[in-house]
Amino acid sequence: MIYLKDVTKVYDKSKKKALDNISVHIKPKEFVIFVGLSGAGKSTLTKLVTHEEEPTSGKITVGGIDYSKLKKKDVPYLRRKIGVVFQDFKLLPKKTVYENISYALEVAGISNKTIRSRVPQVLKMVGLEGKAKRFPRELSGGEMQRVAIARALIHEPKILIADEPTGNLDPKNAWEIIDLLLKVNEYGTTVILTTHNKEIVNTLKKRVITLKGGKLIKDQEVGRYALQ
Amino acid sequence: MFTTFYRLIKTGFTNFLRNGWLSLASTIIMTLTLITISIFLILNIVLTQGIQTIQDKIDISIYLSDSAKGSKVLDLQKELSNNPDVKVVKYVSKDEAKQRYQEKFANNPQLKESLDDGGDNPLPASLEIKTYNPDKLSTLLPMFEQEKYKNMIRKVSYKENKEVIDRLFKATEFIKKIGWGLAAAFIITSLIIIFNTIRTAIYTHKSEIEIMKLVGANPWFIKWPFLIEGILYGIFGTILALIAISITLRLLSVSFNTYFGSGDTGDQVLGFLMKNLVTLVVLMLGVGITIGVTSSSIAIRKYLKKS
Repeated sequence: MIYLKDVTKVYDKSKKKALDNISVHIKPKEFVIFVGLSGAGKSTLTKLVTHEEEPTSGKITVGGIDYSKLKKKDVPYLRRKIGVVFQDFKLLPKKTVYENISYALEVAGISNKTIRSRVPQVLKMVGLEGKAKRFPRELSGGEMQRVAIARALIHEPKILIADEPTGNLDPKNAWEIIDLLLKVNEYGTTVILTTHNKEIVNTLKKRVITLKGGKLIKDQEVGRYALQ
Repeated sequence: MFTTFYRLIKTGFTNFLRNGWLSLASTIIMTLTLITISIFLILNIVLTQGIQTIQDKIDISIYLSDSAKGSKVLDLQKELSNNPDVKVVKYVSKDEAKQRYQEKFANNPQLKESLDDGGDNPLPASLEIKTYNPDKLSTLLPMFEQEKYKNMIRKVSYKENKEVIDRLFKATEFIKKIGWGLAAAFIITSLIIIFNTIRTAIYTHKSEIEIMKLVGANPWFIKWPFLIEGILYGIFGTILALIAISITLRLLSVSFNTYFGSGDTGDQVLGFLMKNLVTLVVLMLGVGITIGVTSSSIAIRKYLKKS
């Protein structure tokens, strides 16, 4: 599903290697946790997969698409196949819960009829029925993250990337979000979760890839939190 | 296709309404810009109309010497009447001149009676000439220089007025030039302000534009609602500017009329505007929408560069 081969990323500004010669293969329907402290390169890695950033060297292939051959005008279509969830939710503040989710379908030219049937389904799945008309500012952190997940799932993507999705949430809400991600994975979506929450990593017993200073230092099939 | 079109317009409208203060600020700046532009246009019309009014009042009076023979006066009158530029030639006799004088100074007995003292009427008879085009007045002048008329003409009044008239023309030309200079300065300033206002408005949406890109929106799908907001600034700016201008003009038209004496320039300007209302609205809409769309387009380009 996702291949990274000898990928190195150097940001123009800092000249520091954010990622240093990383090679990873993630299979379809896998649940992979990227662990690392701030600045380890987790976010850079997710940005490479969503094509927000391009690697300085190395090769990235996602779902059979070679990113080095991807044209700028095709990037929006790629993004509709990859769901992304962020620590800061990234909801559109001037749009309601319903509109935030339907927007992702509108950009793809999906018919109003389909939107009207699909959005309530997804809202129900993330447990937000009845809050469709609220604006993000009227929601709690946990609820905002559910909206973000609903938006990410509306296209039924093959890949869901969750970049520190629990970073701003209390433990109860954090676990609810993790449960939601597990459910999504059960339905067959490849999930990439980045976190530095030790408890979550150790409880999940999933594949854990540990990054440190831009280098891949550990890749375990059933991993544990290995950072101090 | 239609669905997408409808969505872009709807999103533009929704954003315009939900952005409350920013939309209001941009619309007000747009209104002020359009008012500035329109005022200079209107001022230009007023000035042109004013000159027209003054030009209409200009004519030539040829004062005849008392010794002028009747037949020669008739000759001159005939020659003038045959000239294609001349609209009217009117003979004003000595008595008529006296009568006019007395009417003019009816409220000033001292001046009025000054003519009655000697018994002899000192006022000359005259020929009053109006031309179709005031510019043509000067072409008539050589006619009066002719040998056969020389002795019978005491004075041609245009010669004396000419300087005043020329000075007036020069002054209005000068005012017009300054006006256009000022207009240009004002318009450029307004354009810079409106551009910056819209740029600020779009800057506040910077992170939203990022999000839109992340959920897979095409650049044009992101861009068009912003352009539609720009169009709305233009439309609402035009409406507000038109309301402001018509109220101001209605209030001012009275003083215009007074200023231009017996003329009805104020009403003429209003009438002119009413007659050309469609042109004015189209012009303002055109200017407003162009400014709005161009500013939005330039301002958003920066954020859409990167995929």
